[in-house]
Amino acid sequence: MLKAKVILVALGAALAVPAAMAGSTPEEDRKEAVEYFKQMFPDVPYEEYVNGQYALDEDRRSQWESLQDFPPYEFAVAEGKEMFETPFANGKTYASCFENDGIGVRQNYPYFDEKNNEVITLELAINRCREANGEQPLKYKKGNIASISAYMASTSQGKKFNIKVQDSAEAQAAYQAGKEFYYSRRGQLNFSCASCHVQNPGNWIRADLLSPALGQPSNFPVHRSKWGELGTLHRRFAGCNRNVRAEPLPAQSTEYRNLEFFLTYMSNGLPVVGPSTRP
Amino acid sequence: MSRSTVTFGMVIALSIPLFAQAGPKDDFEKAYSQAERTHQEAGTFQWTTTSDRLKAAQEAAGAGDYDAAARLARDALELAQQSVAQQQDQKEAWRITAIGD
Repeated sequence: MLKAKVILVALGAALAVPAAMAGSTPEEDRKEAVEYFKQMFPDVPYEEYVNGQYALDEDRRSQWESLQDFPPYEFAVAEGKEMFETPFANGKTYASCFENDGIGVRQNYPYFDEKNNEVITLELAINRCREANGEQPLKYKKGNIASISAYMASTSQGKKFNIKVQDSAEAQAAYQAGKEFYYSRRGQLNFSCASCHVQNPGNWIRADLLSPALGQPSNFPVHRSKWGELGTLHRRFAGCNRNVRAEPLPAQSTEYRNLEFFLTYMSNGLPVVGPSTRP
Repeated sequence: MSRSTVTFGMVIALSIPLFAQAGPKDDFEKAYSQAERTHQEAGTFQWTTTSDRLKAAQEAAGAGDYDAAARLARDALELAQQSVAQQQDQKEAWRITAIGD
């Protein structure tokens, strides 16, 4: 009898372990997502996902390509470069706060800071740099911070995202929280991020053509025609939440940083193409 | 008729409109505080429509229209309850569509 019980327990454990582990690591999630989109859009090359809706619709793409002759974010990037290089009151610059003096590092953001157990986005790092040097933090959704972030992204163009989720329980929890946020339905319209960008990319929602989840962070900050200016990824998160009648969270809140952590990890291997333009 | 009877009668007569007005105001305050509390319970799942109704209810109350304010507060409560139900449901339901789970 005891022997039978032992066999049953061992059998149960053997069956339960693979089920619990299926798709449970970030890398397994990412690979599964890549495969999912490959099946959904067999004719779209993987690298094209950084172009969002323009990878899916030829008319939109040709309009977008003609806009690239004189991209509307150019002045903002030039201003961002000037701000990035202008010394703070203490004589230091942003370069003093970043690896490789802040040039060509966008692809490593966001990262999980194991010392303070939090996700650090590029915009957060920019403001922390300011505060460490006695300057006032900038507002997070647009304006100067978007310009500085756009300049830094421009120095990383073509470099592939390389986000790491460490094995620590805290880093894994931040990734999982971001994933849960992405797939949770919110707002009176009962939509999740995934409702549009995993289940319905390529479909229209009113006048908007929905982009796939892969590659979305690659082109931020973006100049949106709707905004008439550059905006950060967290500004877009807030707009998406508002669209489904969910109260947006503050830019750089823990929830949005975790969401960016998850979403950018999904784009690992895709290049930085920001700043870019979107409708 | 004695003087005290007349005074008592006047007090009663003057109090009637006050009592009549206390109903909607009390209704509003009760519904509003319950709606606000429920809205907070929704945490990161709050709905903008709830916030809009709460704000409109406050404005109506500020204008002295407690009937409208109470109605808006009750609307807000209903929406807030739905947002809490969504929050509870999504604790597990998000996994249904998740890639990799």
